[in-house]
Amino acid sequence: MTELIGGEMIAWSDLDGTHGPAPAAGPEFGPLLATATGHTLVAGPHAADLIDALRTEQITLLVRGVPDAELLTARYAARPGVTVRCGSLEKLSGTYDTVVALDGLDRLLTTEAADLTWDETLAQLLSVLRPQGRLLLQVANLFGLHRLLALPPTPADTEWAPPDDPTRPTGPDAIRARLSAADVPVLRDYAAYPGALLGGEVLADPALRGFLEATLTAAPAPAQLADPARLIRGALRHNLADALAPAWLFVAGPGPAAPVALIAANASPATAAPSGGSTSATVAAVPPAADRPASAGSAGVGLVAGPVVAAEPASASSTRTGVAAGLLAAADRASAGSAGVGIAGARAEEVRREAGGRWVRGGGVPVPLGHTLEDLLVGAAQRRAVPVVRELLRAWQRSSAAGVPAGQVVVGADGVPHALRAGGKPVEALRRLAATLIAGGDTHLWPSPADEAELTALLAGMTGRELDPRDVPAAARAEPASIRELTIARDRLERELADARAKHEFYERQIANRDHDLKRLRQLNAVLSATVPGKAANTLVGGLKAGRRAVREVVRRSRG
Amino acid sequence: MHHANHYYGHSHVLARYCGLDDTDPPRLHGYLQHGWNIGDGLAPDHEYTPGVPSFLWSERTRRRAWSLGRRQGYVVGSPFAYLLAMNPLTDNDQREGTIWYPFHGWEGQHVVGDHDGLMAEIRRTEDGPVTVCLYWQEYRSAKLRQRYESAGFRVICHGYRGGWWKDLDPGFLHRQLAELRRHKRVASNRLCSAVFYGALAGCEPAVYGDPMHLENEKNAFGGQPRILREWAALHGPRVDPATAHRLAVDELGADRLLSPAELRRLLGWPMPASVPDAELTGVLTR
Repeated sequence: MTELIGGEMIAWSDLDGTHGPAPAAGPEFGPLLATATGHTLVAGPHAADLIDALRTEQITLLVRGVPDAELLTARYAARPGVTVRCGSLEKLSGTYDTVVALDGLDRLLTTEAADLTWDETLAQLLSVLRPQGRLLLQVANLFGLHRLLALPPTPADTEWAPPDDPTRPTGPDAIRARLSAADVPVLRDYAAYPGALLGGEVLADPALRGFLEATLTAAPAPAQLADPARLIRGALRHNLADALAPAWLFVAGPGPAAPVALIAANASPATAAPSGGSTSATVAAVPPAADRPASAGSAGVGLVAGPVVAAEPASASSTRTGVAAGLLAAADRASAGSAGVGIAGARAEEVRREAGGRWVRGGGVPVPLGHTLEDLLVGAAQRRAVPVVRELLRAWQRSSAAGVPAGQVVVGADGVPHALRAGGKPVEALRRLAATLIAGGDTHLWPSPADEAELTALLAGMTGRELDPRDVPAAARAEPASIRELTIARDRLERELADARAKHEFYERQIANRDHDLKRLRQLNAVLSATVPGKAANTLVGGLKAGRRAVREVVRRSRG
Repeated sequence: MHHANHYYGHSHVLARYCGLDDTDPPRLHGYLQHGWNIGDGLAPDHEYTPGVPSFLWSERTRRRAWSLGRRQGYVVGSPFAYLLAMNPLTDNDQREGTIWYPFHGWEGQHVVGDHDGLMAEIRRTEDGPVTVCLYWQEYRSAKLRQRYESAGFRVICHGYRGGWWKDLDPGFLHRQLAELRRHKRVASNRLCSAVFYGALAGCEPAVYGDPMHLENEKNAFGGQPRILREWAALHGPRVDPATAHRLAVDELGADRLLSPAELRRLLGWPMPASVPDAELTGVLTR
């Protein structure tokens, strides 16, 4: 049953993603939610699979929009312990053993409420948390890399008041201090990336860089200023992955220990099925990035939820855009059985350090240490270290990881490539690398113009293998999605055009010279033909030709 | 692409390495460095077409070319190093004496210097038989040839380097390698390709004697004084062979040779018909 507590918004939905970012989502939150105990408040919009991950009997869901409340009521009608409350946070009464606010604090107050600062909103939320209760709070980083790379945003409907105010803490340290002061000490906090929650210990170990890079860059990125993969790689290298995380997640208050890191198994490359089909199993289809406001108003994972939920083209639900989102789509998919990538398929796995110091994930699979092959290859190409590039390519193409994209291969200190996912055809992996190198402007190493097919063939050649560019299978035309890559592409094309024009002129001159030579030779020929030996030679050649014709005629007749 | 690609049978050697017909190498899509060089790898009078790659011998040359604005440089190593890779040195080589390359001018250039003084110095320095290898211009001069012969030297010429697609000599480098392998030492009065070739082919190199000069010689990229400063270790009648070999490997890119598949792709050459597909086609089965 829906309980209207006051301040509710009649025609409004946060769950469908039309008035702002999609709701908080991601299988990586599952294990943390499963530890919730007692009466649990889920404050703000959360995807259905997050609510489903709660194991407590008594759950209160707080949403702002009446349609959302009705949808949730209908969905959980059969679950007796679930209460849906609709309205503004300051109207909420009662105390809760666990408060879950993975969407942050920016979508808890309604248009009818007074404008509260971030700090006042937090105080309001903490006021309903029982002493010694557990808080799961995610806070968007307004200086996160997704925002640094965002195209100029259009304010979303939800931003009737800007999300930033002077009371908003500007980093994880400040938030930890604020929660401590409120007597809710932080047990663990994570850098929250799409599909990954990374604790400090994981980020501090340089040996995990390759694995983390592969995990964080696995998902396609929406249109923005630059491809985030490069920035993610740089952030990891410069120990800025926490400071530039799209959001931070805090687990505060007493209770069971939280894992050091969680990654969405399906969004991460770690356990992808050999078919490579099931990468997106989280929430619902999210509107394309271009349609979504990349505004500062988004709490939770906000804009960057895109990559996490971005579905493979093969997924039945992935082509949805815009309206059908959140629970609706999730419910659809659940009813569609295995047609889509079901919520049930989404899961998270823990990354932890064993007693012996070894990093393992999931059920004990060792995490490969080192750098991604792509990182090493691009780095070597930038340093013009051709022999290194050649050696890396050879080792990769001779290994069982030959068909795995270079960004999903971790090369350890021993030089052995470890695949993080199942591969396809080697030539496709090479082509993908060629595309990455071209898009990143890292092709100084090779003669231009080198299109994808030509560079693919050259890369194959560097491994000692024969490949004709015409035999490189066609790839879907990938539109450069970001401004930086567009600029690189434009500069490259400009250069290639200038080169082609210069070559054209060169060939014109060559042809003119050859024409001149030909003319001279023909004249010489004519002069020589007029001489006595020349005439004799012509007579001889003519006679021979006549003889050959006669023989052919005889042969033809005898066969006929 | 450029007639200089076929100098000294260079393109012929590469064609052979690539498994193609080495009597008629295909058109090479780029500029191939044809001599040891302290500039951007190509001749000073070389006409550049933007966007056409230069195939250079060494990484050092590539860096220099880049700094000079030549961005389309690709290190492939020298054709001589490929030839040597196809005909590796053996312990059976019977080596004796010195092969001496007097500094020469190229087509249209004239060397000014005292040949008699040079011959005397060679005699003083070398204790074994000496073979003097003249450039075809000098070799054609019977007078000059006789002067060296009368001084007791064996006089040879590796051949004509070819030009403008005429008089190409596919055997040039082969003859040079064969001669180098017959000698213990290689020497010249100027550090040049031949000295590096010799060092790579197992000869003890030496650079001494009047370096002579060309009429109106221009010191491009620092010229002879810079060569003396930068490659001082290779100058003198006795040079450390290990150092010389290491430098020769660097300058001739002997450690940077490509596989035939990669070289063919770079030069824009076809796959040879004789290549067994199954053996080489790891990526795609034809």
